[in-house]
Amino acid sequence: MGLLAIIICGGAALACALLVILSRNTVHSALWMVGNCLALAVLFLLLNSQFIAILQVIVYAGAIMMFIIYAIMMLNLREAGEDEFRKSLLSGRFIVLFLFMICLLALGLGLSPMALKGEMGPHSLAKFGEVNLIANYIFVQGIAAFELVSVMLTAAVVGAVFLARRD
Amino acid sequence: MNDYQSVYLALSVILFSIGALGVILRKDAIVVFLCIEIMLGAVNLAFVVFSRANQSAEGLFMVMCIMAVAGAEAAIGLAIFVLLYRKTGTINIDKFNLLKW
Amino acid sequence: MKFDLVWLIPIFPLAGVLINGLLGRRIEQKNKSLVHWIACGAVGLSFVVTLGLFFKLLGLPADKRLYDFAWFPWISSGVFHVGVGYQIDPLSMFMCMFVTGVGFLIHVYSIGYMWHDEGSYSRYFTYLNLFMFSMITLVLADNFLLMFLGWEGVGLCSYLLISYWFSDLANAVAGKKAFVTNRVGDFFFAVGILLLLVHLGAHGIWSLNFSVVFAHANLLSPHLVTIICLLFFLGCTAKSAQIPLYIWLPDAMAGPTPVSALIHAATMVTAGVYFIARCNVLYSMSPFAMEVVATVGALSALLAASIAVTQNDIKKVLAYSTVSQLGYMFLGLGVGAFAAGLFHVLTHAFFKALLFMGAGCVIHGMGGEQDMRNMGGLRKRMPVTFYTMMIATLAVIGFPGFAGFFSKDGILWETFSGAHGSYILWLIAVLTAAMTAFYMFRLIFMTFFNECRASEEVQKHIHEAPKTMTVPLMVLAALSIFGGYIGVPESLGGSNLVERFLRPVFGLGKDKLLQSAGGPGLIHRAVSETAAHQSFSTEIQLMFLTAMMVLAGIFAAYMLYMKKRSVPETLAANNPSFYRLLLNKWYVDELYEKVFINPLRSISFFLWKGIDVVVIDGMVNSTAAFFMKCGSAWKASQSGYVQRYAVSFLVGVFVLIAYYMYVR
Repeated sequence: MGLLAIIICGGAALACALLVILSRNTVHSALWMVGNCLALAVLFLLLNSQFIAILQVIVYAGAIMMFIIYAIMMLNLREAGEDEFRKSLLSGRFIVLFLFMICLLALGLGLSPMALKGEMGPHSLAKFGEVNLIANYIFVQGIAAFELVSVMLTAAVVGAVFLARRD
Repeated sequence: MNDYQSVYLALSVILFSIGALGVILRKDAIVVFLCIEIMLGAVNLAFVVFSRANQSAEGLFMVMCIMAVAGAEAAIGLAIFVLLYRKTGTINIDKFNLLKW
Repeated sequence: MKFDLVWLIPIFPLAGVLINGLLGRRIEQKNKSLVHWIACGAVGLSFVVTLGLFFKLLGLPADKRLYDFAWFPWISSGVFHVGVGYQIDPLSMFMCMFVTGVGFLIHVYSIGYMWHDEGSYSRYFTYLNLFMFSMITLVLADNFLLMFLGWEGVGLCSYLLISYWFSDLANAVAGKKAFVTNRVGDFFFAVGILLLLVHLGAHGIWSLNFSVVFAHANLLSPHLVTIICLLFFLGCTAKSAQIPLYIWLPDAMAGPTPVSALIHAATMVTAGVYFIARCNVLYSMSPFAMEVVATVGALSALLAASIAVTQNDIKKVLAYSTVSQLGYMFLGLGVGAFAAGLFHVLTHAFFKALLFMGAGCVIHGMGGEQDMRNMGGLRKRMPVTFYTMMIATLAVIGFPGFAGFFSKDGILWETFSGAHGSYILWLIAVLTAAMTAFYMFRLIFMTFFNECRASEEVQKHIHEAPKTMTVPLMVLAALSIFGGYIGVPESLGGSNLVERFLRPVFGLGKDKLLQSAGGPGLIHRAVSETAAHQSFSTEIQLMFLTAMMVLAGIFAAYMLYMKKRSVPETLAANNPSFYRLLLNKWYVDELYEKVFINPLRSISFFLWKGIDVVVIDGMVNSTAAFFMKCGSAWKASQSGYVQRYAVSFLVGVFVLIAYYMYVR
């Protein structure tokens, strides 16, 4: 059942990602992106990372995607002009790039056995991904980094307001 | 027990490649931005897999940091797009070569 | 007064330079006369200090008259040390006395001459003070290098002052000519110093101090000494305007007349004479170099006198006369009569400065006119100038009783009888004396006698010069008469104070001379001291002969320029080629132009167009072009489009990952 779930969710994520880059309409791209995020969230759940999965839904699918769609609405982008993209898919450049991606894929696959030293054993599976495990890490070991991240977010908000204001 | 790590990682790599492809090929700045988000998602997936494999919370923490960066990036990036659109009336990134002196 | 105060002598003019040079413009606007008070005061103070030291020196016994004041170290490199130091001995004091004294008088004279000039008053006096500083450094220096500094300094000031009215192209060109000609000489001079340093250094004597060098001169081989002496002499021919480098001096008359008097008659041009006298030890070791000096001196004297006969520009005549008189001095040095040569330097400083200043008064009075053909009859209008110039003329031609007579006679007698003398040189010298009498009286007759040939306007304007100009004239006139009596030769019952005073300096050289006398291949006759004492009657006879020649010269001038004034024209018309040869100064300038300057110019042109433009510029430009090509080739990579950068970024990441995956 595990593998089937992985294939279904993974296939959905891949299909959504492809549709993001292939659809002509920007709004459609954004909506396919939401699908991609949701598929990823399910994959996180399959990996027993409930907290991350919830964050993925709330932050990505909820906040960031709404933000993007809102921006698209504001910009009122209606012009097409993306026809050359379809043509370029068939052009030599695309093929070269595709080969490059295949190489990367091969690299990634070659990488995996090296990176995975330990087995994902069942002993701690039940506990893994629980909030208190992450909280323990965040507020004990990674407290400084966590605070810095909060500073960065504040700076980003201030910067965004500063940039987008009307003079 | 093998938890299909290779499948997860392959999925992550393909997602990353699709994202990179979009970043390179699409001309619409917003779509390029979306593709970057796809790439970040792929990386997140890989981090979670590694984290589980090593029985460590560090990977999960990384994922949270990446999400924060993505959020910040969305805020700043979209603000820049709005600004560019206001100034030039387009966000086709082939129209901008400001990096060239 | 202590000898350690010698540094005051050069410091006063230097202070004058700094004050007038840095603040002169402001001082001039506030109070113009303050400028000359500073300048003249500085030189006057120097003169006073010199006088004090001079009398202190006189108070010492003859063999103690040497003091070396080491002021501060200048160059210190390993074993080689050169300091700034001043040497006080009879020779340097002798020079310093008349340099500061005559210099002071000419400074005073300049006040009257330059007061109404439109140029910058303070700039003029700054240059003049700078010259005094350099000249004092030159004569007081205790080592070759410091002396060379002064040597170059006076050359620079000469250049600056010749082109003082630089807005006129001719003046600028004259200054340039003087400068370049002097550079030629200075080059050889510097080579001489370096040769001396290197070869003495080979014997472990890394010093350029005069006393050290001369004490160890025996270590050098005779050939080397000859080479060094000839190199030095080439430098001296440029500075002192002798064949072959005299050509700049007549052109140098483009400068203000007081400058001609100070630099190009009285002081700077005698630097060469001073230097050879200073190096008498070296020269005495090389009979050949002595002979060269004597021959060049005699030939210069004759050549310059022959040119002076035909010149019409009053200052040009005096300039050639200067070259001629300097030739006498070198003749004297060359035959071993160092004291007589220097005595002539002194008297020449008096009467030639006077002549130039008198000429300056004439030019001043005539409103800038320099051509003698447009003068005449000035005797009544400018009496002071006339009488003082008359005295100077009698002095320069060696009329018995005047200063020039004694000094010139000393040289002639040594040429005739000295160990290194010869009859031929003596004959040339006497002939030159007659010619000097002729052209000087030609100048006097054309300028001061007969009717005035100037235009009406100029005639109305003619006036005697102001007091500041005439007083120095009178002082110098007195010196031109009585200055000679300090060197009356023993044959005339005098005691020749000059020679006695300078004997400590030349003693060593004289000894060497007597040793070398009788060496192979020389035209000279050894005369022992006792024999010389018995030849007084010969000396007096020769004096008489010279005086006769001089009188003949005066008489010829009188006949040609007072009585039968048509004769010169007919003479010139009957011998057109000879006359033109003399008028055009033997075509020496043209010869140099053809032989040296034109080839040099074409070489320079080749170096410019061929080497510089093609090779050097080509290298530089093609280097630049190469990098521009490289730049344009790489330019495509910097398109400014984000996506292209992203592609290269991805490629780089791929390469890095591949490296770590498969290679490491």
